[in-house]
Amino acid sequence: MLTREEAKKLSEKILSYSTFPECVVHVDAEEDAFVRFANNGLTTSGLVRQQQISVSSTKDRKTGNTGVNQIDDKSLRDAVARSEEMAAIALPNQEYVPALGPQQYMPLDRVDPATASARSPELIVHARNVIDGARSKQLVAAGFVQRAARASAVASKTGLFGYYASADSSLTATVRTSAGDGSGWASQPALHFGQMDSNAVARKAIDKCLASRGAKRIEPGKYTVVMEPAAVASLVEYMGFGISARAAEEGRSFLSKDGGGTRLGEKVFPEWITVRSDPSIASIPARPWGGDLVPAQPIAWVDAGVVKNLHYDRFWAMKKDRPPSPPAASIILDGQDHSLEDLIAATDRGLLITHFWYIRFVNPKTVQLTGLTRDGLLLIEKGKIVGPVMNLRFNESPVRLLQNAKMLGRPMRVSEDEVGDDVVMPPIQTTEFTFSSVSEAV
Amino acid sequence: MISRRALLESSAALFATRLFGSPADSPSSRPSPELQNLADTALRQAKKLGATYADIRINRYRDQMVGVRLSKDLTTGKDLESPFVNNDDSFGFGVRVIADGSWGFAASPFVTREEIARIAGEAVTVARASAKLQARPVELAPVPAYQDRWQSPFTRNPFEVPLSEKLEVLRSAVHEIKKEPRVFTGSGMLMFHSEDKYFASSEGSSIQQLVIQTLGDISAHAVDRSKGLSKSRSHRPPALEAGYDYVAEMNFAENAPRIREEILEHLAAPPVQPGKKDLVLLPSHLCLTIHESLGHSTELDRALGYEANFAGTSFLTPDKLGKMRVGSDLVTVYGDRIHPQGLSTVGYDDDGVKATRFTIIDKGIFSHYQTIRDQAHLIGEKESRGCCYADSWASIPFQRIPNVWLAPGSDAVTPEDLIAGVDDGILIDGTGSWSIDQQRYNFQFGGDAFWEIKGGKKRGMVSRVAYQSRTPDFWQACDGISGPAYWVQYGLFNDGKGQPEQVNAMSHGSAPARFRQINVLLTD
Repeated sequence: MLTREEAKKLSEKILSYSTFPECVVHVDAEEDAFVRFANNGLTTSGLVRQQQISVSSTKDRKTGNTGVNQIDDKSLRDAVARSEEMAAIALPNQEYVPALGPQQYMPLDRVDPATASARSPELIVHARNVIDGARSKQLVAAGFVQRAARASAVASKTGLFGYYASADSSLTATVRTSAGDGSGWASQPALHFGQMDSNAVARKAIDKCLASRGAKRIEPGKYTVVMEPAAVASLVEYMGFGISARAAEEGRSFLSKDGGGTRLGEKVFPEWITVRSDPSIASIPARPWGGDLVPAQPIAWVDAGVVKNLHYDRFWAMKKDRPPSPPAASIILDGQDHSLEDLIAATDRGLLITHFWYIRFVNPKTVQLTGLTRDGLLLIEKGKIVGPVMNLRFNESPVRLLQNAKMLGRPMRVSEDEVGDDVVMPPIQTTEFTFSSVSEAV
Repeated sequence: MISRRALLESSAALFATRLFGSPADSPSSRPSPELQNLADTALRQAKKLGATYADIRINRYRDQMVGVRLSKDLTTGKDLESPFVNNDDSFGFGVRVIADGSWGFAASPFVTREEIARIAGEAVTVARASAKLQARPVELAPVPAYQDRWQSPFTRNPFEVPLSEKLEVLRSAVHEIKKEPRVFTGSGMLMFHSEDKYFASSEGSSIQQLVIQTLGDISAHAVDRSKGLSKSRSHRPPALEAGYDYVAEMNFAENAPRIREEILEHLAAPPVQPGKKDLVLLPSHLCLTIHESLGHSTELDRALGYEANFAGTSFLTPDKLGKMRVGSDLVTVYGDRIHPQGLSTVGYDDDGVKATRFTIIDKGIFSHYQTIRDQAHLIGEKESRGCCYADSWASIPFQRIPNVWLAPGSDAVTPEDLIAGVDDGILIDGTGSWSIDQQRYNFQFGGDAFWEIKGGKKRGMVSRVAYQSRTPDFWQACDGISGPAYWVQYGLFNDGKGQPEQVNAMSHGSAPARFRQINVLLTD
């Protein structure tokens, strides 16, 4: 893994080639080991090493950007020269902001050496546990075990330098019946590979698979739902764009007020809804800086239902004469001291949603989304799961989801293929969730 | 101004430039001997370590994105111009082996003999570890050994065109869009992708290819803050395997004023009346419906469960092959890696299989899967249909969608004929929202612009439209397809599949087509 000293030396070398007043360099290096399995056997596994150097050069408000993956002197010198040549021909950016000076980034290195160095033999143990578990019930397993070791550095001619390293791993597993009439899914992220409990993941996926067999059709419409954390995460992440101060002020966000202005300071959600960013949480691989290199730090976006902060990027902050916001990353939805079972027990009639699939914007302004339930949709009656139902398509907004939330569980880090790796969400019980059609897919 | 020489030599690796040469400098139909020598290192090492099969891909990618956005500053009323220019180069290799009956893969950005030998060893190690948990030994469909060179057609290499020329094309278009003060944002983008790819296998193939792709679009965005509305309208010419010469054909100058007018109409358009309606779908829209409903459902790896943990499986299970009616008699669909300028068009796939064309749906009946070498035998087929590819040197080649296109109708049918046959319907242009279930039954699509059809005539725009259907129901509701003169292939650049996820590009052509009594929704 690229060390802090190596990253500093490399970025200083790259900056020494710069002839422009402003130059920003990103260095990223990564090694991934992964094992994929399906139909109760391994399919494709690999070990991949990658690196990327990105250079942005700016002069007279004109910027050129280049990226290369070779680190010999000639390639790096050429990359800087080329970014400067591109900048020379580029147009002046009327949304230009001067380069940031030195910043204090939080020390967020989270590298467990065993995780960073795990290879196929260690990964296969977990694939085997899932496959053996499925086989023991005459079921069919598919899944993915991976670990990544990453190091990133950023440096600029104006004295900024940052570095962080992380190692992370995850297991996702889908267990299906051989007849194709049942499917269950479970996952686990693990900053420490040694904490991976593939037997528990297998049990959960197997139980869901068995519980989902013989699903009955129900009519689409509005339902009370209990969502597991992965389902909540894949919807709430879409609210990110809406907290942009610029989008809100320009009338393009759910936080825009009709007729002008924003809903900053308004109570938009119930008081039990708090959404915040917190890179200091030890269970997630948080990044110390955001896209415009502003240091990550804790910030509440929604506090007890009230919109507390909007995200000001550096340009918009400069324009509005205020400090920029920390990045809208490492999103946490605070919960309550309830288990998933408590939420189910508190539901008179509703649906338990394992996770979603293929979520896309229908209307970015209202954050209306569409997508489908997958791998376990179960009917709840009088506080108990009474049986599986066929998957449903929803047309709904996470804004309304949180507005209608009645009860939250304990938050946990989520591992879902279409969700970022630094999200912490609780299970939720919410009402009036809109389903628009039935899907035969299992 | 960047000189041609500077452009050629300032890439991340002069070595890569020398290895791949430029097409004009290398008219030979034989691959570069230097590439072959590097490949031999991997193939020899893998064999020495006991691999029964090995291949290596040494690839170089060049990507350039140029964009201009012009946004209204609400404080001053002036427009703020924000350009973006970015070049990315990536060079590396991946080695794939079969040892003890299992696949192994390893990849590295350091293209040296020593590293190639080391990585070949890593790939064998991975394969041997995987063999302990294999369901069945890998079996490859036979393929002839090829020594060949292939490139997509282009006249002007976009990477040799000055940035200033590209910026000016975009700047001119976005300023034209912003001439109307009620337009909040005008934006434009050009993107160029070049892939130099070399493939060699232990079965004797040595294949060098060059693919150049060009994509561009311009968009207008408008906001009605009094009503809380925010809408957009785009002109997205088809993405193609093409050079810079294609940019002139994108015709931004003529289309910028059109979308400037249409965005205002879209913003003011009344909401659609939901219910069952007939749809006339233009090729710019239908490309995505074809992709999601027919492209993905006819992938053999999905049907066999190999994507169950992520992209999903398929309702078209092998027992339905040659039997299931998926569409009306009018619906014939091809899988195709040879159609000129299709984004998935190549000489050979990443298994070293020669590109081909085959029917996927023949007069409504599901006739063939998309296949690759290690899965063809699982449905009793003797050869691969050439649908194996990867998005990078660092990714494992696997089954991906080829160009999948809908055959046109008879010469006599025009789009106007289709509209004339609709009493209550919607005409849809461009892509908007899209979503489909993991077995490819239930889908929902939006669009970029919608016009009401009443009494056989196209009327004004309507808004907030999406439609839902079920793949076989939808395609069986197809009762009209325009003739070959109206057939256009559109390209998609962001098709995700696999773990680790890969993102690839392919094209989907069609002529305008009509679908009866589809469920139309009113969205937010």
